[in-house]
Amino acid sequence: MAARSMLKSMLTSFNSLKLCSNTLNAINLQNVTGPLVSILAVQSRGIRQGKILDTPPAPEPPNPAAKCPIYRWNLQHKYNYTDVLLLSQFIRSDGGMLPRRITGLCFEEHRKIAVCVQMAHRAGLLPDHRPKLPEGHVPSTKRPRPKLNRYLTHWSINSVKPIYKKGLKWKKKPMHVGHRLLLDNVCYGVKPLYIKH
Amino acid sequence: MSSFSRSAQQWATFARSWFLIDARMQPPGKIATMCAIRLQGKHKPIYHALSDCGDHVVIINSKEIAFSGNKWEQKVYSSHTGYPGGFKQVTAAQLHQKDPKAIVKLAVYGMLPKNLQRRTMMQRLHIFADDVLPDDIKANLTEELPQPREVPRKLSEYTQEEIEAFPRLWTPPEDYKMK
Repeated sequence: MAARSMLKSMLTSFNSLKLCSNTLNAINLQNVTGPLVSILAVQSRGIRQGKILDTPPAPEPPNPAAKCPIYRWNLQHKYNYTDVLLLSQFIRSDGGMLPRRITGLCFEEHRKIAVCVQMAHRAGLLPDHRPKLPEGHVPSTKRPRPKLNRYLTHWSINSVKPIYKKGLKWKKKPMHVGHRLLLDNVCYGVKPLYIKH
Repeated sequence: MSSFSRSAQQWATFARSWFLIDARMQPPGKIATMCAIRLQGKHKPIYHALSDCGDHVVIINSKEIAFSGNKWEQKVYSSHTGYPGGFKQVTAAQLHQKDPKAIVKLAVYGMLPKNLQRRTMMQRLHIFADDVLPDDIKANLTEELPQPREVPRKLSEYTQEEIEAFPRLWTPPEDYKMK
């Protein structure tokens, strides 16, 4: 604000200088520019040094014609819960997903990313995207929750019941690992992904 | 090594080595397969079931193992005391809290061959819940085995340059209040 007003005043002073110089061609300008220079010295603070930073141009997506950002960058079937740099672009600061109408993702990819974000949260890969607890919240000391390491957790931790009866050989109750939506992912190894352990 | 003398080569072939495995953030099943192979001696070309060629394996940080999926809540370890009404079923989380070494021990026990040598092989397995080792075991260790699972990096472990180098996939609209 101050800079703009200062610039305005500088511009007006420059304009006035030009008009003065046109009228004072014959007269020795050095005598005349004394008070004008002093006026300018009072108003101007000197020319500030500015740098034009060369920001590198943002990389182009390899498939700019597609609608979904994942298809634009050809990342379909290639990401997992470990790709935190990708997943963190679609989440809020408290860990929730951003709406699809804002991010522009197609429905299937939005679901896959939501699943990967859930698995990353449960694996502890997004420690800074926690929901804000109310002030003065003290975690209960009656039943301290055990800190267990886990990864590729499909279900929510509190919702799962123990499998007391596993079942007969042809009809076992499986323990699900990973998610069905990520079965289409590219597998570079020989063994295929298996979901039901 | 072909440059060894005959007695040195004999000693190097038939000596019992001590392996070290760090079980932090690793699935116990994969750790157990690595242990079972080395306890039996199946990693050696001179293996024979009767020739007692197994090695010692030391597992550290067994309290920090990581189960995939919801196995901490779903996997159930059952046992029976022999008395009526003595059938006990405990989830993996409860068992781990009671004894942090038990899960890995049971996993290895189930993967060894079901014969009389299994007990001797289990005596050659040394499990520690944390990474504090007694000095005599530390002196015996010969080789550390690589971890089977690649531990993923957390978002806080990435440097700011790496985060900035990753391209933005989508640009938010100007009137949207971000996060």
